[in-house]
Amino acid sequence: MGPGRTTPEWLGRTRVLVVVGKGGVGTSTVAASMAVLAASGGADVLLVSVDGKAGLGPLLGGAPLGPSEQLLRADAFAAGEGRIRGRTITPKQAFGDYLELKGFGGILRRAASAASLDLIAGATPGMEHLLVLGKIKELDRLQSADLIIVDAPPAGHATPFLRSASALQTAVASGPVRDQADEVAALLADHARCQCVMVTLPEETPVNEVIELAYDLDHELSLALAPLVVNGCWPQRAGLSMTAAAAARKQKVTLSVETRRVLDDVARFGQSRLDLQAEQFARLDDRLPLSRVHLPRLPVARLLPDHLDVLAEALAVTPTIPASAAK
Amino acid sequence: MNSIETVLHEAGLVVTCGPGGVGKTSTAAALALAAANSGRRVIVVTVDPARRLADALGIDGSARSHDPSEVVGATTHPKGSLWALMLDAESTFDRMIMDRAGDAKRAQTILTNPIYRSIAGSLGGAQEYMAIERLHQLWSSNEFDLIVIDTPPSRHAIDLLGAPDRLVTFFSHPIYRIIAAPGRSFARVTNAGSATFLWAVRKLAGPKVVEDIIEFFRSLSGMEAGLRQRAAEAATLLRAETTAFVLVSSPRAEAIDEAAHLVDALEAGGFPLQAVVINLVHPTPTPIAAKQLPKDLPPGPLADQLEFYRDLAALATDEAREMDRLRTLAGDVALVEVPLIDDIHDLDGLTELGTHLLG
Repeated sequence: MGPGRTTPEWLGRTRVLVVVGKGGVGTSTVAASMAVLAASGGADVLLVSVDGKAGLGPLLGGAPLGPSEQLLRADAFAAGEGRIRGRTITPKQAFGDYLELKGFGGILRRAASAASLDLIAGATPGMEHLLVLGKIKELDRLQSADLIIVDAPPAGHATPFLRSASALQTAVASGPVRDQADEVAALLADHARCQCVMVTLPEETPVNEVIELAYDLDHELSLALAPLVVNGCWPQRAGLSMTAAAAARKQKVTLSVETRRVLDDVARFGQSRLDLQAEQFARLDDRLPLSRVHLPRLPVARLLPDHLDVLAEALAVTPTIPASAAK
Repeated sequence: MNSIETVLHEAGLVVTCGPGGVGKTSTAAALALAAANSGRRVIVVTVDPARRLADALGIDGSARSHDPSEVVGATTHPKGSLWALMLDAESTFDRMIMDRAGDAKRAQTILTNPIYRSIAGSLGGAQEYMAIERLHQLWSSNEFDLIVIDTPPSRHAIDLLGAPDRLVTFFSHPIYRIIAAPGRSFARVTNAGSATFLWAVRKLAGPKVVEDIIEFFRSLSGMEAGLRQRAAEAATLLRAETTAFVLVSSPRAEAIDEAAHLVDALEAGGFPLQAVVINLVHPTPTPIAAKQLPKDLPPGPLADQLEFYRDLAALATDEAREMDRLRTLAGDVALVEVPLIDDIHDLDGLTELGTHLLG
């Protein structure tokens, strides 16, 4: 680790880290913040987007991500060594690379591209996902970065994505696709090489969904689960539970009637959000025996590169462990 | 009457689309409920509703069925009624095969083919196509005055809308035409293009897969004409004058970016966008004059409140800027802002949402 931020223990456990969550919960933001945190600790980070989302590039102050690697951030880190590169991996691209890697020469390559990937993929369940995961496995094997962070497709699509290897092991008895499936399954199941970061929001529906996702990933696929990231948490502010008049008295200030009325509305709204959020934390405590990191909701509609540093700071905090997990 | 109200009175089909996590399904259900309350016979078709909303509509996972179920007590209007249906792509696909295969043995051959199973399950845009297929069935049944259909999150929504067109393209694919030609076994598929294709698949995925592919295409061949026609009809329906697209977003930048992309995609595809809904908008606090605000306040309850007031004001400004971007893009299309309301899980919640939608 470089002289920058200290990265939490869990972030250094594996080279491959897959970030998953339902659409709208901010998986890309979390993936980018994690990259910033690791790079500021001196790590060489590769961010991979597999859902065709190019937005991770601009979020880190670079150009939209494309199929070839680009340097997103380097000199911003005092440590000097840390850097973030980014790229996309699409099935098509992974397919071409795969054929080349396996030494399939002209005729098969031409045949395969003429046949269009759609048909081959349609013919082999999970093939597209497997191709992408196979490429990630290859990047891991080549040790092409200290940390490879994968921004996975949204939940609903995350389970089929991660399940593709084991599904193909069942469907295909032998041949190159089977070999590939075996190798990808081995990577995913190896808790020393790969872990999953689930992301959710402190709201009822996202919490329900992350609980289901956790059981899929853990029970069914036996993946290693990193701490759960709860994104968009309203910062705790005890004063919101009071009336403005009481708060003003406590701090020996007088407020106009008008100001009190505005602050009462504001505090009531804030407290209602905090109450709803507390309910969801309690449900997570109860039902998901997994340590957690809470990221603050920032008062902006558009996240800028500077905001990632704030979120990275929050990610660096030691995760809290619910009583259900301590047992 | 705002434009959403007009749509609910006049349209025969409403399609909600937008990015994930913005309350699209709730919006679809609230629109359907509002139309039912105005005396129409309405069905809301959803793809993947959150559990509590599904419960409220009486379509929880266990009750998943091919037929619409009435949401009892949804409306007091004597003529109105609300129905709900959760779309199950796989069973719709199976049913279609059974309807069209001609005989049971042939249907069974297709249904148990592994290639079919993978296509029906998740891949190849089949889910999207089936949503359209089911929509078409409901439309043709003439049982409803209005169908409100909720689409999967945006990128997939475009897939969904393009599904009929794509199916037609699929059947025109040279590989398909060659393989599906009757009277050929694998050994006799002599055309160079398809032989090479099958050779490539065999080399990569094994001989079993090749046999399955041939069998699958072969069994589909008799159904092609019907499927093509259906796809063409669905494509027309989605662009009909009585069809209205409602784009749903939130004021967050990522959502607005995706929504902006959708506005373009809808226009490019000739799909009629009639309204834009921006959900989950945070409240804007009434401004407090600077001289009314205490200065240099130490930490404490009032400091908490002022800090939160400033955060909310900043957030509102930021959200307004993002919404303006979409407003500019939407041009003449009406844009409705809906405040953040708590997780909606019952008919009362949907009614409240409806009130905001209709202004």
